[in-house]
Amino acid sequence: MSLAVAAHTNASAASPILAATGLSARYGHIHALHGVDIRIGEGELVAVLGPNGAGKSTLLRAIMGLSANSGEVRFRGDVLPRSDAVAVASRGIVLVPEGRGLFAPMSVSDNLELGAYRLRDKAEFARRRDRVLTLFPRLKERLGQAAGSMSGGEQQMLALGRALMAGPKLLLLDEPSLGLAPRVTGEILETLGLLNREGLAIVLVEQKAPLALELAARVYLLSLGRIVAELDPRDITSHDDLARHYFA
Amino acid sequence: MTISPAITSPERRPPRLVGLLPWLFAVAVVGYAMVVGGYAATVVSFALIYAVFVTGLNLFMGFAAQVSFGQNAFAAIGGYGSAVLTATYGWSPLPAMVLGIAAALLAAAIVGFPALRLKGHYLAMGTLAIGLITYEITVEWQSVTQGYLGISGIPPFGIGPYEVTSDRGQLIMLALVVAACAFAAARIRRSRFGRALSAVAGSEEAATALGIDVSRYKLMAFLLSAGFAALAGSLFVHVVGYVSPEVFGLHMVIVTFTMLYVGGIGTVAGPLVGALIVSLLPETFRAFKDYQDLAYGAALILLLIYAPRGLASLFSPRGRS
Amino acid sequence: MKQNLIAAVLAASIAAAGAPGASAQELYKIGVSAGLTGYAATVDRAWRDGVELAAAAVNAKGGVMGRKIQVIVEDNRSEPQEAVTVYRKMLSSDKVDVFVSGCVSAGNFAAAGLLLRAKVPMMLCSILPQQAEHLPWAFTTLPPAGFEVDKRLEYLKEKTQVRKIAVLHDPTPYANLQKGVAERNAAKYGLEVVSVDQYKQDDADLSVQISKARSAGAGAILKIGLGGTTLTAAKNIKQLGADMLLLTSLEDLAVFGPVSEVLGDKFFFVASPSQVYEALPEGALKAGIKAFLDPWREKFKDRDPNWASRGWDGVMLTVAAIEKAKSFEGEKVRAAYEELKGFQGTTGVYNFRPDLHQGITENPFVLATIAAGKVKVVQ
Repeated sequence: MSLAVAAHTNASAASPILAATGLSARYGHIHALHGVDIRIGEGELVAVLGPNGAGKSTLLRAIMGLSANSGEVRFRGDVLPRSDAVAVASRGIVLVPEGRGLFAPMSVSDNLELGAYRLRDKAEFARRRDRVLTLFPRLKERLGQAAGSMSGGEQQMLALGRALMAGPKLLLLDEPSLGLAPRVTGEILETLGLLNREGLAIVLVEQKAPLALELAARVYLLSLGRIVAELDPRDITSHDDLARHYFA
Repeated sequence: MTISPAITSPERRPPRLVGLLPWLFAVAVVGYAMVVGGYAATVVSFALIYAVFVTGLNLFMGFAAQVSFGQNAFAAIGGYGSAVLTATYGWSPLPAMVLGIAAALLAAAIVGFPALRLKGHYLAMGTLAIGLITYEITVEWQSVTQGYLGISGIPPFGIGPYEVTSDRGQLIMLALVVAACAFAAARIRRSRFGRALSAVAGSEEAATALGIDVSRYKLMAFLLSAGFAALAGSLFVHVVGYVSPEVFGLHMVIVTFTMLYVGGIGTVAGPLVGALIVSLLPETFRAFKDYQDLAYGAALILLLIYAPRGLASLFSPRGRS
Repeated sequence: MKQNLIAAVLAASIAAAGAPGASAQELYKIGVSAGLTGYAATVDRAWRDGVELAAAAVNAKGGVMGRKIQVIVEDNRSEPQEAVTVYRKMLSSDKVDVFVSGCVSAGNFAAAGLLLRAKVPMMLCSILPQQAEHLPWAFTTLPPAGFEVDKRLEYLKEKTQVRKIAVLHDPTPYANLQKGVAERNAAKYGLEVVSVDQYKQDDADLSVQISKARSAGAGAILKIGLGGTTLTAAKNIKQLGADMLLLTSLEDLAVFGPVSEVLGDKFFFVASPSQVYEALPEGALKAGIKAFLDPWREKFKDRDPNWASRGWDGVMLTVAAIEKAKSFEGEKVRAAYEELKGFQGTTGVYNFRPDLHQGITENPFVLATIAAGKVKVVQ
């Protein structure tokens, strides 16, 4: 575990948008977290990598307050409540969950609208909607269609679009590439990169390391519910490098 | 029974007129009962009362995708509230109904608060218990409910000196109430509240992650549903003039579930269509005598095979696949 | 498909509406709302069979005042709202002239207002409606609730040393009425009611109530209510080793065999005359029962005749009322029912009055036990 403390003096670490310390959680029997510490800088895109069952989804759910958990999570310095996801969401932390969590029988338009459920300002709503439809022009063609009837890639776009409708300050993405063709994945990651360059902080959980490594400023490696390494993506040149860290 | 599967595919939008078919059917049935009167009027009156109940049940089970086997409890509270206040204490029907509904809402809030923390099977079993307990109370609290003897002499509805006693008068009144309920359900479906319920129905976790207060909306849907149930219970006792515990027993749960699924859960027209069909079917098979239940059961099975999402969904503008 | 349904509904109602007509002149229609399914099924199926048997007997003799009787039976599923529907159906579609309806009291109460408006009288198996304005149109063959209780109290006073009794009853209206009578009348027979407990028809154990009765010093239990709970009570008494008599309500005789095996000579039951026909002395009552019991036994062998015999009485009372009124009209038949005096039925003598629509005025019941497999009258 000594690698985990590798000194990455990242500029953004000074005033993090999110800082979790000693975060422990339980989800089912194996997907547990044991005292995880992570920090996300303002405007930073951080990837969390790890094998299946490492606790990646549990980590995001714990940050949101969706699963029973203990420890401390601060958002821009304020302590977040630990079991009130609605309160966490109201601070501007938005999760795109594993499997996207779309409302399948509802239309694309309704799904987008639900993303901005807490927003009552009509002008701002229209502005966000225009922005999402510009980012994902394909959704524009399918506004009246049931979300569940679209292709996987389109559904992922909608999930992302719906999250953006909430006006996030920190976006938590759980395996957005799952089940998608490489070309579509590329498109989505490109959009993520764009959003990040505009200043949106993102936590990207992935099993497919290479994709995440292209975008991320920093990488946490998660294994069996513990952070086993914190790395600079530029230091990782091959798959073997990663494997070495997992099994160190 | 020749319904092309293409109609139910999500891409195709049937013309507007098709969406109106369930309503035209309802209008035709009520109109027929109005003209013929007598027995047909009684059957359709009961169907309309059930339609109010099922419209409420649909808010909770269809729109919010929760399960409750205990809404008959609130019909009992509304019904007995009306019965006791009018027959025993001489109130006029309207204030008695309002108080009965208020009492049902209070009861729903008291049980809903803890019960809605339960999920899936636990919520279903919890609500079943509410229904059974209320039934026991209506049987045992004899000083107020008169147990199985029931309460008779409940006055019909009326405003001032005008009482709705004729079959046609009652049908018109009930049809107006049902129309108002269906209109309310349609408005709720399209409202912000309705979309939140759909989100809760889709995925409680995803809804929560979007900042939708799931437990609050579930409670609100539960309360609304209880209010509709209490209204139906009150309508029943004023139309029949008599109430006893069996009226709001487990039988009511079974019948209303059948109506909800046959009509189309989650649709706006479904509860009314289901209530009418499920009330009319056994009557059309009455001539079969001992085979009446068999014919009715077979008809239900056919309906559920050929219209698994309910009759109303066959005509809904956006077929839900 | 909707069109088909509408067509089916239309066809059904046209068929129903078209049924009367040419033959209506010669038929007198008796409607029966009975719980052929549901909790009242055993009792009401027997009631229906009694009504149909009586109608056949009347028709075999040429009918009533030249008209044949037609019996129309609808199943109310033992539910009040179903009863309203079937009463309505028989009133408006079948245009029945009178109802001789079964024992689902809630169903008869719920429909009482309809009959008042339609001016059609009903002769019932159940207790009478509670609403004063409904009473003129309702009559019953049911003996007063007190009779079953009094017979038991009488026996305890005259033939036993027991002076402290317990009452065990179910929550049905009839059982509640009987409980009230037991509490009021016990003192009259020099008895003291030391415990009153309720049970439910589907209870599988009554030992709590029975222990309570025993510790209160009761020497006998008056059990009021039907069904399998009688056997349960008997078993519990035996298990507890309680030295108590069990005296139960009127019931299908078939229930009593197993109970008697458990409790032997400590078990007694109230029986109606038709159930103890063989033990009756010759006379008007025995002859009245014979008229019914002969065709009944021919058709149903040794099936219990109790409820069917009252269904038979219901039809025969109606025939008598029509002949007295010389009219089939509802209002006139209603008035004639009120004047029926000294009518010898299978359950006793009926004496109706305008202020008394429960015609049995003298206690027709006996108390019986089963000794060596045979029913024996003890009181």
